[in-house]
Amino acid sequence: MKMNAIGLLFGIAFGGVLAASNLHEYDTIHFMLRLDEFDVFWFMGSAIAVSLPLLWLLERRGVATPLGGELVLSRSRPERHHLRGGALFGVGWAIAGTCPAPALVMVSSGAVLGLVAIPGIFLGLRLHERRQSGPHVGDGEHRSLTGSGV
Amino acid sequence: MFDVLPDRLPWWIGGPILGLLIVGMFVVSNQPLGASGAYVQTAGLLRRRSDVAVWRVWYFVGMFLGGVIVTQVLRSGAEFRSGYDALREVLPLWAAVPVVFGGATLLGYGAALAGGCTSGHGMCGTAQRSPASVAVTVTFMATAIATTLVLRLVTGGAL
Repeated sequence: MKMNAIGLLFGIAFGGVLAASNLHEYDTIHFMLRLDEFDVFWFMGSAIAVSLPLLWLLERRGVATPLGGELVLSRSRPERHHLRGGALFGVGWAIAGTCPAPALVMVSSGAVLGLVAIPGIFLGLRLHERRQSGPHVGDGEHRSLTGSGV
Repeated sequence: MFDVLPDRLPWWIGGPILGLLIVGMFVVSNQPLGASGAYVQTAGLLRRRSDVAVWRVWYFVGMFLGGVIVTQVLRSGAEFRSGYDALREVLPLWAAVPVVFGGATLLGYGAALAGGCTSGHGMCGTAQRSPASVAVTVTFMATAIATTLVLRLVTGGAL
């Protein structure tokens, strides 16, 4: 139950930051990928510049999280599916000018074509799921996600 | 509604806030904030699977609500529009629909194959110093920039 509230709160904050930064606009992503505007690169870079050292420090300290046990970061080696998936994702990202989180905010903002992007994303995820057995998650790392708690 | 937010929050405010959110989620729950994972779990719930991480469905709903709060409440409130301004200058609506749908399907498939998207690999995975995530991020940035260049060439510089 607590975890559901945390999920909702962090979702609101995440969606809010994306919306405030206009990352839900096709133009923002397109101008970035056209290398005309570097704001999104700086946005992503500064998010990593803040989170990477903090997570490193917290992991070294062996911090106990209230809802998920001891903090453990996941690191995996690149495999072929990472590169192939990343390559396809990049092509689709450039064409659709959005990715999973900003597509939701696109609809929040009243941009009706977001209602076309979201089913497309669902379809793409589903097409892959049907081709392979076993769980796949989509959170960057292969962390167990089953169960209603953590 | 209230029009209290600027048109665009500068990256040096938004980026660090997002970084703190990533850290905060790990500190509270030891979980990454990946958006495509939220789609997978939401699809699982809709198909009544038994092994759904329900909190990720709440996360999915939250992202939408966060967008509503910022774009409709804290800003002046947006009206319905097609979106995709730059694309719509090149394509009429009937042609934009299959392009957006096709691109979205491709990125969804790619995210599933790679095991994450811009948030899961690009932000959270890189912040965890995962070599796989760095590889995914470098790859999608490269193909996205290359694809945009191709689109630009195909449209004679219009896009």
